[in-house]
Parts: sequence; structure tokens; C-alpha cells
Amino acid sequence: MAEADEVQSLLEELRRTVEARREDGFYPAGLEDDLSAHFRRIVMHRVAPDLSRLDASMERLRAVPGLSPDRIPSDSGVPGGPALHRGLARLLGRQTQGILEQVEELAAALRAVADELSWAVRQASTHVHTDLIAQIDTLQDRLSALERQPAGDAGPMALAELSRRLEHLERAEEARTFRPSYSAEAFEAAFRGSQYDLKSRYRDLASRLAGCSPVLDIGCGRGEFMELLTEEGVTCSGVELDAGLAEAGRRRGLDISEGNGLADLAARADQSLGGVVLIQVVEHLTAPELLNLVSLAADKLRPGGRAVIETVNPQSLYVFARAFYLDPTHDRPVHPGYLTFLFRQAGFDGIEIDWRSPPPPDEILQPVGEPGADANYERLNQLLFGPQDYALIATR
Amino acid sequence: MQINQVMVSARPGDAITTSALELRALLRRVGRSEIFSRYVHGSLHHDVWELKDSDWLASESPEDDMIVFHASIGEPDVDRFLAGRPERLVVYYHNISPAELFYEYDPHLAGLLESGRRELSRLADRAVMAVAVSEFNAAELTAMGYRNVRVAPLITDPYRLKAQEPLLDMQARLAALEGPVIVFVGQLLPHKRPDFLLESFHVLTTYLQRPATLVLVGNHRLPRLSRALEELSRELNLDRVIITGAVPDAELAAWYGRADVFVTASEHEGFCVPPLEAMAQGVPVVARRFAALPETVGDAGILLDPGAGPIQMAEAIARVLTDDRLRAEMIERGHRRVGAYDAAAAGSALLRHLVEAAA
Repeated sequence: MAEADEVQSLLEELRRTVEARREDGFYPAGLEDDLSAHFRRIVMHRVAPDLSRLDASMERLRAVPGLSPDRIPSDSGVPGGPALHRGLARLLGRQTQGILEQVEELAAALRAVADELSWAVRQASTHVHTDLIAQIDTLQDRLSALERQPAGDAGPMALAELSRRLEHLERAEEARTFRPSYSAEAFEAAFRGSQYDLKSRYRDLASRLAGCSPVLDIGCGRGEFMELLTEEGVTCSGVELDAGLAEAGRRRGLDISEGNGLADLAARADQSLGGVVLIQVVEHLTAPELLNLVSLAADKLRPGGRAVIETVNPQSLYVFARAFYLDPTHDRPVHPGYLTFLFRQAGFDGIEIDWRSPPPPDEILQPVGEPGADANYERLNQLLFGPQDYALIATR
Repeated sequence: MQINQVMVSARPGDAITTSALELRALLRRVGRSEIFSRYVHGSLHHDVWELKDSDWLASESPEDDMIVFHASIGEPDVDRFLAGRPERLVVYYHNISPAELFYEYDPHLAGLLESGRRELSRLADRAVMAVAVSEFNAAELTAMGYRNVRVAPLITDPYRLKAQEPLLDMQARLAALEGPVIVFVGQLLPHKRPDFLLESFHVLTTYLQRPATLVLVGNHRLPRLSRALEELSRELNLDRVIITGAVPDAELAAWYGRADVFVTASEHEGFCVPPLEAMAQGVPVVARRFAALPETVGDAGILLDPGAGPIQMAEAIARVLTDDRLRAEMIERGHRRVGAYDAAAAGSALLRHLVEAAA
């Protein structure tokens, strides 16, 4: 076919053109090689490790000939030396052979180890390498997909929005935090009565902890109950959230630390306590904190140890009219039925409820001498004027 | 007796799948014939059975039946399947890409290509005949130990894209491209040397000052290679390179329609359908003298010597773009070449071989 020659001559012409343009510098020298090398660099910019030195060493190791007594040199510059060497070699022949066999055995084992290691290195460097590259490629793809997303400034905007909401939450939290301008001591002094009153009210409860050293008093205030415990011969320590009250207690020589009672309890070793006391404290706790308290008490009390929880009695409506809402830090009253249930669930037994602080007799409804009305007053008295407090005493 | 076909992966638009479907149509004229594939693309589920459904092959005398196996890549399941079948086996060899070029991009795929050649060698004694789609493939089969090797061109219809309705939005896009458009069609795989094309294009636009657009049309299944190509075109400032990924036939037809020249730098092809499709659409072809390409392109295109680098390819492209007489000549020869390729003749050649194998 005539055209075939035409194609050939066209190719010839192209070749000549390229040659001429290379010579006059139109195409820089090495252009194609540079381009090709550049592409190789792009593809291989994460190259596999160079194992050529390892390969060379392995080659040398394989080339080492076996051990033989013939290869021990017997030449010597001393007159008669070679004969002496040969004589000695003959005399020691058996021993030499034995040693060589052992060395040969060791060398064979070492060669096998070197082979295995060399194989393992190659496996690790090729397989792990390609796996890693595949993972890096996947990550790069995902990254570039992210970078290509149109809303370029969505990131900073989202951050500003997040920061604004965080500030809002912080302000709300700040507003919820109760920080009275009066001191806790002033509040106690105004509403709780004198220290002597308190001590006489709680002496019987402190006696329930005789023999329960050491006792932790959570929310110990100025430490009146701790003094009662000390009088009973019980060693005790206390935790109080209010710095002023804690300091007042310490001034009286009591072991009181300032802080969160639940955290303090959680930090104790398991079964390290003989007693845990909370006087007028649980009504300040949230529902989750109360759960936490009971389970911590179960962990930290030793077998036979006691928990004493004294709090307001929500079954008495008089409490709400008089005492409960006087203290703005009261969260919720705890029902004795619920508290009993919690301690039973936590594995305590011998749970008893001690009803305390009946309302003053002159406040309760008085019988009028009419049987029907008096029966009604009696029922109203039970509902309205039940005991103001109760203490739950649970034994581990 | 029945003749069924077994392949590894059936995908729409894939040259091997197309040839299997064409062959089945021929075989069904004389009897039952099915295609079984280890992997079947969703759109072909009504047409191609999955290999695990091969119970269907149940036949009264399977040793009289025949399996035509399309060999193109390794696949352990297919290898095991063929080993356990009593039918006579004909290997239809589409070629297996050289594994060594794939290792740095996808070791797993490279492993499959390598095992594909091993599996194919093992079948040499088992096969009653091997059919190659080109002399190049036939030589490889003989080297693997196959004795009864025949050549029958791949069954394909180079004019199939002519039937595609033009896409309106595509046309608007193509009209917006200024200057000549250079098109490559094929999967972005290392042996097709898309990097060589980018380098040629760099020479063409930077040194020869011929503004143009290079379009690489085809599936890219090696992310590392695609990324490297993108990086190379960015670094060489080739802002008029379009890498389309896999496209539907209508879009492919539109690219051929807009192309001023078709290029491929491929170094390994068992047949290579795209140059034929380009010629059918009146697009001159520039390629390199490798593997089966001289057989497929013949004297209709410019086949650069294997030693020619990207500069010579750029010069050849520039020449085709500027020399109207040469262009007209190449287009004319292309039409003649593709006209000489006769799908019906290719089909009947293959059928004749199969009948002989069955005798």
C-alpha cells in the first residue's frame, strides 16, 4: 500500500523536526526525562524503605562457606612451625571437629533466624506500607471533599455561634448559683437556735453511733453533732461546704475540712468508716446526688457500720408552713418511705425510723369535747401536725 | 449440546461484556446459551447469571457441552469453578494487563492480574482451543503453552455510538470549548500511560504554543493514579485538561463528535476498541506502536515508534491539527479501515472456531 510509505515518511519528518528543535535549544535538553522523573516523584512521594543493604548482607551471609578444619591455616614463619601446627592439629583433631560441628550448628540456626528476620522486615515494610498508603489516600480524599465544601466560612461561623451559646449558658448557670450576701452563721444563729438547744436535741441520736468509730459527719456545720459524738467516745471528722461554719468548728478543736461531702465520702477507702451522719442535709441534695450518697455509704461503711440520716418530715404539712421554705437552699424534702427503700436496695438491713420534733403542743388542734368533731381534729392533727423531722438509722 | 460463557465481571459498556453479549446472540441462533459472571453489575442482572447460579448448567451430558471462558484478570472463584467442570473449555483471551505497572497503585489489583496469568497458564493443557482477539494475544497464548490457538477479531460494533441521541446540555458545554479538542478514551490505568498524554499536552501547549483542550474519558479505578495525574496537570499549569471519569454512551458519543484528534499512549492492549470508534466518527488517530495497536489501527493512524517520547507525540498532534490535507487523508483512511472491520465476519470467524472445537 502506497500510503504506508507516506506514514513512514511522516514519522521520519517528525523525528527530524524534533531532533532539529532539540539541537537549536527549542526543546531544553533532558525535557522528557525531567517530566517523566517529575511524575515518578509525584506517584512515589511516599517511597518504600530501601532494603538493598539488607539484601547485600544476606547475600554475603549465604556466600559464607561451611566450617572445616582444612580451612584453619597451618603456615608459620617459625622454623618447624608448620610441622608443629600440623602435629597439634592431628593431636586435637577430634576436639577441633567437635567444636566446629557445634559452631556450624549454631551458625545454621543463626542463618535461619537471619532469613526469617529479613523476610519479616520485607513483609512489614511492603505490606504495612501499602496499607498505610491506602489509609492515607482515603483520608486525603475525605479531607479534600471537606475542603471542597462550598460554605467556606461555615467553620468560623459555627465557632462564633458555639461561643455565643456557651456564654449564654455560663450566664444562666451563674444566675442559678446561690450566693447569699449574708453569712451562713448569721442564718443559723437566726433560725436554728442556740448551740445548747441543738446539742440537747441530738444527744439521743449521737448515742446510736456509740462504738461506730470513725464517723464522718457530712454537712457538719459548726460541729455540734461531732461534739456529741466525741462525748460518746466516738472519733469523728466532718465536712462542711460553708467556709465560715467550717472555720468556726475548727476553732473549737474539731477535725473539720471544707468541701463537698459526697466528694469527700467518695475519696474514702471502701469499708473504712464505722458511721456516716447527715443532719438536715439530704433535703439540700438533688435526686441523683441522693442516689449517689446511698450507694457511697454502702461502699464506705464496714459491715455493722451505721448511717444516720436526719431530715425534715414531708408527711407533716406543718413543716412546710413553718420550717422547710425558711431555708432557700432546701432542694426537696425526702420522703421516709423513699429513703427506706433506697437504703434497703443498697443492701442495708435493720432500718428504723425515729420520728422527732413534734410541733409544740399549743399549736396543735385541741379537742372540744364533742366526740365527732374531736375524731376529725385527731385526723387533722396527724396530717397537719405530724413530727417535723425523722431520722433513718440503717445498719450495713 | 450447549455453549455457555464464563467471565469474571460483567459491566455495561465494557468491551469484554459487549463481546460476550454479541457472541451469545450468535450462539442462541443454534441453541441454548447463557453467560455466567462472578460479578454482575446491577443493570445486567436480567441478562447475565451470577456464577453461583451455575446449577442451571445442569445438562444430560455435560462433557459434550462447552464453556467459553473470557480471560482478562485473575479470580480464584472462577478458577476453582472451571477446575471442577466437565465441559470442554475454550479460552477466549482478551489479554491481561501487565501486573508490575500496578503494584505502586493498587497491590491487590496487581495481585489479581498476576494470578490471572498463572491461572491462564494452568488452563493451557485443559483447553481444547484458545481464541485470541489479536495476533499479539495469540503470541502470548503460545508462549504460555497453548497449542490450538486461533485468532478472531473482537466482536464489537464501532458504529454503535452513531445511534446515540445528541445530549443538549453536552452540546452547549462542548460549544463553549475554544480551539481544538484532543480526546483519549479508555480506563485510566498505568499501562495506558495517561501521564505520557499529559506530558505531550504540556509540550503542545507550552512549547509549540497550540492552545487546546485534552479530555481523558473513562473510568478511573486507581485513586492514586488519578490524584497523581491531577497533581501533574496542576503543577504543569495545564488548566485545560478534563478528566471525566466513567460516562454514559451518549456523552462518549458527544466527546468523539467534538474531537479533532484521538490520542492514546497505551503500551499494552489486547485489541483496543476506542481507535476503531474514533475512526467510525471521522476522528484521526495518533497512537504508539505497542502490542495489538498496529493490528487495530493499521495504516489509518499515526503510530509512533515505541522509543518516541512525549515531544514526538506533541509534534504529531500539532501536525494533525494544522495540516488539513493530512487530516482529510487520515479521516478517509480511518473510514476505510473501520469499514474493513466487519463485525459479522468477526462473529462468524469466532463461531467457525467454536464449531471446530466442538467437533
